[in-house]
Amino acid sequence: MDENKGYWNPIVAGIILGFALFGSFMIAGQGMGASGAFARASAQLTYLYDSAFATNAYAAKYLINGDALANWTVIQVFGIFIGGYISAAFAGRIKGSIDRGEGYSATKRLFWAFLGGIIIAVATRFARGCTSGQALDGAASFSVGAWIFMLATFGAVFFFANFFKKQWKGMH
Amino acid sequence: MERDALIMETLYPLYTTGALTGNENFFYALIIGIVFGLVFERAGFGTSDHIAPVFYFKNLRVSQVMVSAILTCATLLTIAVYMGVLDFNQVFIPTVYIWPYLVGGALFGLGMVMSGWCPGTAVVGMASGKLDAAVFLLGVMVGMSVYFDQFDKIADFANSSNVGRLTIDKLVGGDIYTSLIITIFIGIGLSVFMYTMKAIRDKRGGE
Repeated sequence: MDENKGYWNPIVAGIILGFALFGSFMIAGQGMGASGAFARASAQLTYLYDSAFATNAYAAKYLINGDALANWTVIQVFGIFIGGYISAAFAGRIKGSIDRGEGYSATKRLFWAFLGGIIIAVATRFARGCTSGQALDGAASFSVGAWIFMLATFGAVFFFANFFKKQWKGMH
Repeated sequence: MERDALIMETLYPLYTTGALTGNENFFYALIIGIVFGLVFERAGFGTSDHIAPVFYFKNLRVSQVMVSAILTCATLLTIAVYMGVLDFNQVFIPTVYIWPYLVGGALFGLGMVMSGWCPGTAVVGMASGKLDAAVFLLGVMVGMSVYFDQFDKIADFANSSNVGRLTIDKLVGGDIYTSLIITIFIGIGLSVFMYTMKAIRDKRGGE
């Protein structure tokens, strides 16, 4: 079976993504973002639960107006969800499932996804962004920081890859 | 006079030059996001089946998309600057903190191998119905609150080795054209490395 069926050629997809990213810089002066929206959503939820959180040393900057979600990146991530949904729906790819290697336990898979999420959240705060807002945007706009971030990311990926081999067994 | 004409022409970025209101900019954020989501899904980023194999040089889809997007956007930005329509100083580039970026990058790599997602791809994964993507994003929300909670203790490190808005031309000298040429070379170098590693892997016939 051809696992690439129904997907764009990666080079073509990249060029189209590059044009979209350029459009974003030309309109808003900033590129794609993802992790920032989740930082803001997390801050907003905590704030709703406890209003004293508005003075938190890190999150205060998000909560100046009491609404961390009135933000460009948050709205843009909402758009990513809509766009992803439309595309997957048209391709007939929306299916409740858990991506995991052959014979790998679903519970274990979800545990690693959750723990990985926690680690990545902390990572994005240190690195001021993720693979979107830091690596992709930064490298496309000549930031040295993007390459410093990617160097460390690649190093860790290839260093730790063997520990998680079973989880991805049989993937294409 | 000539200088005034030049300043008049630098209309972009539309929002930062005042050509767009805040609400208009928010409207475009939604449109731009939808385009990103569509392209991400069609690029194959909505499933770990396309993301995890790159960890083992099995399928280079992710790196091919990344490199061609970076080179396309970098070239277009340079053309816009050459034409005098874009004020590059108004393009947002995050402040660079060398040590926090290295530590953050390493943690990010670990988290990515562990989870099979990054925040952007997981949004598309969740839209495609992947439960593991939703659980990952829940973890991200929890991780953020852990960081906020512990920030007092790590703030000094997180704000250390600040070198400002460091672009390639500021580091090595030259101008935006220098930056573009170096970016192209890095992109080619990275591609050659990935293709070589894949070729070695394929030759060994390993899983």
